[in-house]
Amino acid sequence: METLNIFSIKSKRIFYILLGMIMLVLPLMIKSSFALEILIRILLFAFIGTAWNLLGGYAKQLSLGHAAFFGLGAYTSTILEIKFGVSPWIGMFAGGFIGMLASLPMGWLCFRLKGPYFTISTIATANVLMLIFLKFRDFAWGAEGTTIPNLGHAPLMMQFETKTPYYYVVLGLLFSALVITAWIERSRVGYYLVALGEDEDAAEASGINVNKVKRNIFMISAFLTGLAGTFYTQYIYFIDPQTAFNFNISIEAALVSIVGGVGTLWGPVIGTMLLETTSALLQSWFGNSIGGIQLTIYSLILMAVILWRPTGIVGYLKEIYQRRSNAKGAQ
Amino acid sequence: MMTDALVVKNLSKNFGGLRAVNDVSFTVKKNETLALIGPNGAGKTTAFNLIMGFYKPDSGTVTAFGHEISGLRPHEVCNIGLARTFQVAKPFGGMTVLDNVMTGAFLRDAQPERARSAAREAINFVGLSAREKFDARDLTTIDQRRLEMARALATQPKILLLDEVMAGLNPYEVDQAVSLIDKLSELGVTIVIVEHLMRAIMAVAKYIVVLDHGQKIAEGIPSEVVKNPEVIRAYLGSSYVQAKEVLHD
Amino acid sequence: MTETLIQAIINGLLIGGIYALVSIGVTLIFGVVKIVNFAQGEFLMIGMYITYFLSSFFGMDPLVSLLISMPVLFLLGVLIQHFLIRRVLGLNDLPQIFLTFAMSLLLINVCLMLFSANYRSVHTWYSDEALNILGIFIPLAKLISFVLAMFLSAVLWVFLHTTDLGKAMRAASQNRDVAQLMGINPNRVFAVALGIALALAGAAGSLLMPFYPATPMVGQLFVLMSFVAVVLGTLGNVRGALVASLLMGIAESLGIQFIGADSGLIIVFLLLLITLALKPGGLAAGWRR
Repeated sequence: METLNIFSIKSKRIFYILLGMIMLVLPLMIKSSFALEILIRILLFAFIGTAWNLLGGYAKQLSLGHAAFFGLGAYTSTILEIKFGVSPWIGMFAGGFIGMLASLPMGWLCFRLKGPYFTISTIATANVLMLIFLKFRDFAWGAEGTTIPNLGHAPLMMQFETKTPYYYVVLGLLFSALVITAWIERSRVGYYLVALGEDEDAAEASGINVNKVKRNIFMISAFLTGLAGTFYTQYIYFIDPQTAFNFNISIEAALVSIVGGVGTLWGPVIGTMLLETTSALLQSWFGNSIGGIQLTIYSLILMAVILWRPTGIVGYLKEIYQRRSNAKGAQ
Repeated sequence: MMTDALVVKNLSKNFGGLRAVNDVSFTVKKNETLALIGPNGAGKTTAFNLIMGFYKPDSGTVTAFGHEISGLRPHEVCNIGLARTFQVAKPFGGMTVLDNVMTGAFLRDAQPERARSAAREAINFVGLSAREKFDARDLTTIDQRRLEMARALATQPKILLLDEVMAGLNPYEVDQAVSLIDKLSELGVTIVIVEHLMRAIMAVAKYIVVLDHGQKIAEGIPSEVVKNPEVIRAYLGSSYVQAKEVLHD
Repeated sequence: MTETLIQAIINGLLIGGIYALVSIGVTLIFGVVKIVNFAQGEFLMIGMYITYFLSSFFGMDPLVSLLISMPVLFLLGVLIQHFLIRRVLGLNDLPQIFLTFAMSLLLINVCLMLFSANYRSVHTWYSDEALNILGIFIPLAKLISFVLAMFLSAVLWVFLHTTDLGKAMRAASQNRDVAQLMGINPNRVFAVALGIALALAGAAGSLLMPFYPATPMVGQLFVLMSFVAVVLGTLGNVRGALVASLLMGIAESLGIQFIGADSGLIIVFLLLLITLALKPGGLAAGWRR
């Protein structure tokens, strides 16, 4: 996509380098463990949101079932780790791969439906996966799940004693996802995604193999989401079907992109910053005493965005810029 | 035959009992401009959809430059060299004009820079250069038509299917559209247009095929087709034909 | 064996009546307003809580509370259409899907905050009674609910086919543009459609209270069933939604009886799969092969 060239290439580069440096030294400057936790959560959900955005933001295939891939990734790496002693670093990619594979039948099924029914079918699929993992104790511990044995400091098994290394891992994940998204945005695939998101028939008539493009982007999105599942499990040392396939993950994946700006590179990141900070504030004010307050606030924010700024924060900023530059051009 | 660009043979399509297209056959010669006309509901747009692969024919075949394309998906048909515009324009609303046309150009060249310049050529051809950066949804109707055409052209079609591009245009705009079609013909493109506007049809069409209620009722060169009583009856009703005959006596 | 079978079928049929009220609402909204109401289940939940509190504070019987829950939800539907739905009509999928989704999320979580996740039940004199016909037990509460559900469906049917407004709704459902040309005010029609759909969901909630506990999440269980029933019965088709809901109730009941307690969702999913296999593009505009 012709990204709005607000800044020159040179100033963009400087910005990215500065941003990169800040992100790299940030954990060393933060003393509070709580603050670091929040940062890790922000980076993680920004990562999940960016993965969702490829399918849901650019191509407008509004999935609310991404928890399916999160859970598959989580379980794959955990099963490999606990039952076969395989390092989660490898397990993470295996998990992403399994997620990717799962997206094929899921896509075959769900893409047959359009609009809201696509969304419903993704919800149903993720739900069914949760049910399956709740039932079957033989290969995956059933409803109680399992904890990851604490090996202390074991970097090769993705276990660390402080939070800081986790921060760098998830930062790396987010960085990769952003690079992938930026690359896609500029390439033919990016145009094809937006085109099919706008009008599938017109896209087909222009030579786009819509089914193939959907399939491929679904695979990428699923793969990345699977990686997140592994990371989260390693981070909290615990897995069970309710956590791994939690509907809230699917919700937040979509939400951060919508609030931040669907189909934009930084939308999910900005959306996550807003939502997770709000969530952290709510937690510090009310603790866990009021069940449901977080999602209440989230749903209000979502409604506000949909009714007043459907293009999200980034979209809104772009519009302001465009209006200013049109005004200038008219002079 | 080698000079046949598009051969439609015994094409039929039912929709739950309604025979939208019924055993239609016609041939479009290379670099010819053929007009597909007929009253509303005659099956013209359905024929386009069948040719482009949006519907699968119940029977019959469509062949383009010797390749059988019936049953192929639209993107495959486009790849072979057919492109279409839609009766109600379908721009990629959120993208700019340039991005819209680039999407078409990407079929022939995956490299963004080259696709961009190919797109610019097509945009220039239809006269939209000044509005290259506009969001497609902000365009006027006629500009959206132009955009459709540019996007279709960017796929470098050998056969172009234009679906009622003249609808709603004022006479000046019609002239512009006609001259665009002429330019395309000069470049060697085979064109099939669905049209209602007689003036435009007579100006561009070398050959006409007339559909009514899904069936072909007449074909021939323009001067003959307009005198054909069957055609007149289809458009204006039998009483008109009878009146004409009375007057001629 | 046949007795168990018949028993299961009867049980399924009875609960199918409740599904029907929810499904009819969904299909009505989809047919007339052309959006999928993700929050339909939550309006059932609201109906349940209204009935619960009327029962707690005033001792009102759930069936009597219908007289309150239905109008309240009707009004709610009209308001929602006017202030919210109207603003996303004509926009693309994302706003339409996520608006009602956000409504759903909001309602569930506000109720969670207000009422906590505890189950609330209402006990009536007929909650534990059952008729015994030829060895088949028919729970009285469920029977009454079923009869009333069918009655409400019949009333709706009459409304859609005899009144001007009802016919206007059917017209708008079949062809929006022609309906508008004939002077039918879409917003008014949409408001009524939404009102009716929500009233039916609320009724379903009230009818459930005698034998089903209320909790903020209760709507989610019913709404998935109803979405599949709507698809099975063809989108926008009220009679189809009714029949499909009854069938699904029976299928679920048979599953629970003969396969296992958790088979409900699997059955729903299987039915969805089968529908997709038989009518793959049936939900699209009809363009695909």
